[in-house]
Amino acid sequence: MTAARDRFRVWDLPTRIFHWALAILVIFSFATGKIGGGWMDWHLKSGYAILALLLFRLGWGILGSQTARFTHFVRGPRAAIAFARATFGGNHPLTLGHNPMGGWMVVFMLALLVAQASSGLFADDEIATQGPLAVKVSNALVAKMTSFHYYNGWTIVAAVALHVIAVATYQWALKVDVLRPMVSGWKVVPPGLRPPEPERAAVWLAAAFLAIAAALVYALVVIYPRG
Amino acid sequence: MKKTAIAVVIVAASAFLAEAQQVKLENQIKYRKAAYQLMNFNFSSLDAMATDKKPFNKDEAARNAEFVALLSTVPKGFFSEGTDKDTKAKPEIWTHRPDFDAKMEKMMGEAGKMPAVVRSGDMVAFKKQVADLGEACKACHEEYRAK
Repeated sequence: MTAARDRFRVWDLPTRIFHWALAILVIFSFATGKIGGGWMDWHLKSGYAILALLLFRLGWGILGSQTARFTHFVRGPRAAIAFARATFGGNHPLTLGHNPMGGWMVVFMLALLVAQASSGLFADDEIATQGPLAVKVSNALVAKMTSFHYYNGWTIVAAVALHVIAVATYQWALKVDVLRPMVSGWKVVPPGLRPPEPERAAVWLAAAFLAIAAALVYALVVIYPRG
Repeated sequence: MKKTAIAVVIVAASAFLAEAQQVKLENQIKYRKAAYQLMNFNFSSLDAMATDKKPFNKDEAARNAEFVALLSTVPKGFFSEGTDKDTKAKPEIWTHRPDFDAKMEKMMGEAGKMPAVVRSGDMVAFKKQVADLGEACKACHEEYRAK
């Protein structure tokens, strides 16, 4: 039996919901974007949902729970290299939340997804689907955005693959359980090594952030294009 | 000598006739683009009706469908080898001709069904037909259209 003091709540509920909702929507967006046809309507809706999730995450990264905050996990390159050396040298350091290497991957993936969702708003597949803001800008810009949206989509596929490989490496090669904490929120640590419990922001604050993010996206993709 | 001269004239003349029957390469690009652009306009209207972004209007939909069906038959004849300047058409079209033609004919087939489906007024069939045509367009774009 694991005593309560041998585990701590590394990921709060909003961060976990964000993670899995994003994972599902990114896969869904990729598939619908490739099939096209009647799925394009869903592709756009999925993109709006992703944009709202990303806005929420940016807010949560500033005012959310400790392990979700950018100031907590965005570290310098030296810290990332030192961490990588230790980990691959067989001496994986225990970190509270994202490690210095993974922190950069989080920032990188968020940036790719923000770029993807934003460029999609201006894209036009020249079949029957247009992003809601394509009518607001020149066709030259629409063509650039469409092209970017296509290639960046494959960059995201590569980043997701790298992410999954990294998770699998921790999980099965280095025997560091990263999957269960992302589901339950609890990270089990060896007795006596327990770091301080991370501060958690209120769940209602997360709900408020998500509502604001959804309202902003609605204004941008529904209300603004009408005007 | 005389025979050779006549033969040269005949060969030259037949070459000229063959050339005259074929549309100039530069214009092939121009005509197929025009057809695609008008298909895009008309199909977008059908798609908006199929996805409830605008109300279904049978007369307008029928007109859009007729245009799409007719225009869909235009590009196939305008993809001669060498029509790869100032276009998004990828040179793979000419190295994978049978596959390209199959995808083109699939698109033409789906577009050709559109007018009858619209006239039937069956909204379920209409939505499906719009989706099927969109996918047929996409299949070709994925492989043969530069991004």
